[in-house]
Amino acid sequence: MNLKLLLFAFTSTLFVYSQGNRNRVSGQIFDSLGQPLFGATVVLDKNTKATVTSDDGFYVFNNLSQGTHVLKASFMGFFSKSIEIRFEANEINQEVTQNFFLKENVEALQEVNIQSKTEKRRIEEKGFSVSVLETKEASQRNIQTNELLKTSVGINIRQNGGLGSDVQYSLNGLSGNAVRIFIDGIPISLYGSSFNLNSIPPAMIKRIEVYKGVVPGYLADDALGGAINVILHKGTKTNLNTSVSYGSFNTFTTNMNGLYRFKESGFTVKASGFYNYSDNDYKVSGRSIVVNGLGGVQTPITARRFNDAYKSIGAVAQIGFTNVKWADQFFIGITGSDDYKEIQHGVFMTTIPYKGRFMESDALLTSLTYQKKNIFLDGLDFNVHGLYGKRNRVVNDTTAIAYSWNGERAIDFRGNEFEYAWGSQQEGGPTLTKIERNVASVRTGLSYAINEHHKILINHFYSQIDREDSDALQSVLENTFVGTRDLQKNIFSATYEVQAFADKLKANLFGKYYQQKTVNIDPSIVSDANGNNQIVDEIITSSTTNNGYGFALSYTFLPNITIITSAEKAIRLPDETEVFGNDGDNVVANPSINPEQSDNYNFGFRFGRFEIKKHDFSIATNFFTRNIKDRIGLPIENSLNVNDETILYVNQGSGTSKGIEAQVNYVYDANFGFNFNVSRFELKVVNKGIEIDAPNTPFFTMNAGMRYSIKNFIKKQTHLNLFYNAYFTEAFSFLPPQGENTSGAEFFEVPQQLAQDIGVSYTFPKNNFVLSFDVKNIFDATLYDNLSVQKPGRAYYLKLNFFINKF
Amino acid sequence: MKIKFFNLRTISVALSTLVLTVSCSDDDSISIEEEKQENNRWITVAAASMGDNPGDGNGGTLIYALNSEDAKDPTKSIAPFDNGLIVPSNRTARLQSSEDGNTIFNISYAGDTGGNYTKYEVKGRNEFTRVGSEINISQYVGSAPRWVKLFDGDKTGAAVYVSTENIIDDKGTDDVTDDTYVRTNAKIGVVTLDLENSLIKEFQEHDVALSPEEEAAGYYISRIDMPVLNEAGDKLYIGARVSKVDPLTAERDTDYEILGSKTIVLDYPSLLNPSVITSTVGIGNTNGYRSINAFLYNGSVYQANQADPNGSHILKIDSNNEYDNSYIFNLDEALGVQDAYILAWRPAANGKAVIAYRHAGSAEGVAGAQGFFALADLNAKTAQKIEAIPYDPDFYLFQYQGFVVDGTEIYLTQAPVGKNGNIYVVETETGEITKGAELVNKEGSHFIGTF
Repeated sequence: MNLKLLLFAFTSTLFVYSQGNRNRVSGQIFDSLGQPLFGATVVLDKNTKATVTSDDGFYVFNNLSQGTHVLKASFMGFFSKSIEIRFEANEINQEVTQNFFLKENVEALQEVNIQSKTEKRRIEEKGFSVSVLETKEASQRNIQTNELLKTSVGINIRQNGGLGSDVQYSLNGLSGNAVRIFIDGIPISLYGSSFNLNSIPPAMIKRIEVYKGVVPGYLADDALGGAINVILHKGTKTNLNTSVSYGSFNTFTTNMNGLYRFKESGFTVKASGFYNYSDNDYKVSGRSIVVNGLGGVQTPITARRFNDAYKSIGAVAQIGFTNVKWADQFFIGITGSDDYKEIQHGVFMTTIPYKGRFMESDALLTSLTYQKKNIFLDGLDFNVHGLYGKRNRVVNDTTAIAYSWNGERAIDFRGNEFEYAWGSQQEGGPTLTKIERNVASVRTGLSYAINEHHKILINHFYSQIDREDSDALQSVLENTFVGTRDLQKNIFSATYEVQAFADKLKANLFGKYYQQKTVNIDPSIVSDANGNNQIVDEIITSSTTNNGYGFALSYTFLPNITIITSAEKAIRLPDETEVFGNDGDNVVANPSINPEQSDNYNFGFRFGRFEIKKHDFSIATNFFTRNIKDRIGLPIENSLNVNDETILYVNQGSGTSKGIEAQVNYVYDANFGFNFNVSRFELKVVNKGIEIDAPNTPFFTMNAGMRYSIKNFIKKQTHLNLFYNAYFTEAFSFLPPQGENTSGAEFFEVPQQLAQDIGVSYTFPKNNFVLSFDVKNIFDATLYDNLSVQKPGRAYYLKLNFFINKF
Repeated sequence: MKIKFFNLRTISVALSTLVLTVSCSDDDSISIEEEKQENNRWITVAAASMGDNPGDGNGGTLIYALNSEDAKDPTKSIAPFDNGLIVPSNRTARLQSSEDGNTIFNISYAGDTGGNYTKYEVKGRNEFTRVGSEINISQYVGSAPRWVKLFDGDKTGAAVYVSTENIIDDKGTDDVTDDTYVRTNAKIGVVTLDLENSLIKEFQEHDVALSPEEEAAGYYISRIDMPVLNEAGDKLYIGARVSKVDPLTAERDTDYEILGSKTIVLDYPSLLNPSVITSTVGIGNTNGYRSINAFLYNGSVYQANQADPNGSHILKIDSNNEYDNSYIFNLDEALGVQDAYILAWRPAANGKAVIAYRHAGSAEGVAGAQGFFALADLNAKTAQKIEAIPYDPDFYLFQYQGFVVDGTEIYLTQAPVGKNGNIYVVETETGEITKGAELVNKEGSHFIGTF
């Protein structure tokens, strides 16, 4: 399929058909005391159109059709209100003014759901293949951010252990650095491993958007397979909430979020913080969990992990102004975080567990946020979000003492305690490798709504990472000659958004321009004129520019049936290791390496929401293909290069991923909810014309969730929620598929897995307290990540949440 | 787009059904009920499946056994990729077999069971019965051990490991300009294991030094492999690769003078008293790759070297445990080629050997340089390319591991990457070549020898 041609066809069509009717409704939203409500949502006709009120509570809908319309106004902490308006059939250009006075709701919790659902639905109907995850409910339960992401369709998470362990995200089969993760649009790599989806609690997050294959211009980065954007709370309402949770494996997590706004001046102070700790000492067994005895004789055991503790602490503090004349949001802030992670084993659980190997990282960053709608002129919105700071990471592995899976010192074949020949826990020698990075990133966006139907967005994204490596165990001489790396990215994007055919058609066209500069500074020794050796810096730079483009489109051709389709020519620029190699691994520079490219297509339907009596359901499905070219990798070892001291990254081969995903949501009488999703794909790599199924890929997953709410349980004005979640992963093999009648394949198989969690949460009267109890992996099923890497068994967690919405 | 997608699926389902039907019926027709008679032995064929790249062998190692009579029969056909046993090893397994071919030994290379020693009784076809208990040697030599079987009647296996560290004299200051590089220490670990009883026999570690001049220039032993016993059985020789750092920066050098081929000599079975011997005949490495690189013949150890700028040599270590520098067997000269590189080799008891090699005239195939076989005579120091074996440009021998020696006959596998081939039997006395059973290949994959 020719993407360019398609784009052209769409553009021309859209310009022709975007005439509308000229009817208009406008008004203001007030609270019961007559104060205008800023940020209230007004929805037209069951979500065909929605808007958010400006700081004077004002809203407007233009170009409405003749006949009856329903307007619904809602705001966090208030009862929603619906009002019917009518434009007479025989008149044109009618203007209706409709004001709303909303009443405060004591049971604010329910309202939050309505408000956020609107936002979720609005994003989902833009035409992108996107999953929007609400964190409100999860934040009150014993659920980590990564666990929440796992429930979403099309995203697969591979985590190799308990709390704080390494996570890999895969979107529709593309993983690793093909998936970009952002916090408020800033790459998470800037924050480092101390402030990531393992450590940030859901309570700090407003929502998570997962864009699969096609990423909107405002989030431009070189995301080949998609992007995950974590949006932290942006509210302007004074509140304080805190929670504390304790459970199995000595897991303790707590967090606090607070915001205070001075009504007169708009001066706002925001702060949030978290602390997580777990011993992760869950039980493991299996073919490599053995104790070696005399002569090397092995005894299988069930062991408790003993070098897997995780601790993270972090805080974000911001001061600034909200909803003032010159800014909707203006904040300067500071983010600090620190984490400590013990490492029990390498990629696999082998017969030699580590004790004493750990990683520490920290980050200290300052940030600036500015947002203003209708700046200079109506319809012109501006936002900028920047971050600057430092992050560090140290891997510490300095003890050679051998330990057994029973947690005690290991003995050799003679029965003596011993130390590893390589002088460290992990093969490769003792290390105190420190990586220091200075990081900066700025994302700027300017959008202009020409009218209700046409909108233009210009976005710029800049990021820079300067990296310096050192190892305290190595001599000054060796450290002196380790190179430093700078990487700078500039990405420009232009987006055109259009709504046509009475808003049945929503389209988004975008182009992206990528610019990357990598600088390698490698000190070396040069003799001067007098024959004296001098240390000079050899500086090599490499620059690349590339283009990408795409579109997203949704069309509602019957009430409740919407086609959602999108495509993008996506790019992933080579990272600094791929351009400049890695001294330690003998990988040398290849400044002429090309970026990876992928043509990504999504085509889906959304059926619903159907409301039949008390039943309410919707179905969404998406077909996707990803066609990857110029994959970057290391060439295979052969007799021509085996004795070479060096090797370099090259573009080799291509790949395809294609599949289908679907999800069903069902609600009965607003107190029983059921959702189910399924995702299945084929991932193939093609090299020199030969196609092979990519091994080690969970290609078939299903998730299901159920929720049942009981109001006024035991006492009046309380809520009891019961939850059930199930996660299914089909068996997959570490090897590519083998012949039909071969034997021995079971050795490489990661078996079928089914994890089931249950939970209960109870909201006390006045909504100030929520108590949650969760049991994870209730049937103590054996769960795996990689070949034989085991995840925790049954675990219990208790959490108490405390809220203050008024001071 | 949706329609296209469905069509594609439908077609592929239909196709795979068809392929399944065909392959099933195929299988029935070529199925051989393997039995071994008194007068023949098992020939276990090893095949390496494609991982990411054609010829990388990272997609699984499969073994399949047939008797030597069938192996010599060109009307027979075997398909290890369809019917073999997948050897439990994450990357290409390094297999060894007993001298009679009745037992296969394996140590897993990398992965969760890396370093696990397992033993199989060969029963024919893909029936290999696991015997004995498992032991793991990863705590001594790492989870990707370089090991071979010693020629002591299938009693012992030996695995080796080396780790290196730069020694820098910083003169007690933080000032980098007065720092000097002293040497790079190579610490070796050697473990021997009792193949019969699945037990660790001995393990020793040593710091191994080169000459002070070599060390001052930055040379050090960077990789070791291919241990072999001398005739007296009192010394173990270990092949070595020598690398170099730039003493000014302690960074790895890429362009330097290659030293004479070196071997580490240890007392056996104590694994004590390391020393290093150096050849003046060959330069380059003696650590081989996947296939045993040094063999005992007629009282001396004959060792191939690799990456020799003058072309690979067969070097000789005499019973005095020193290189015999009067023995000069250069493959470039013997074959009349340039840059001969021995990829794998194996002598029979008569001093005649089959050599797998590549040279400057090799075609650049799908996975690397084209390989060839030659028949060599260790006494006459001669070698001839075996012309009766076909050499496709994609015929690739880099990962070649195994030859079966049955009296004066040597069994080998021949199949280009992704194409069918055959077992060939070389009668080393007469040079007669017998084309044996057909080897059914699959896309991107190749065969890595007989055991």
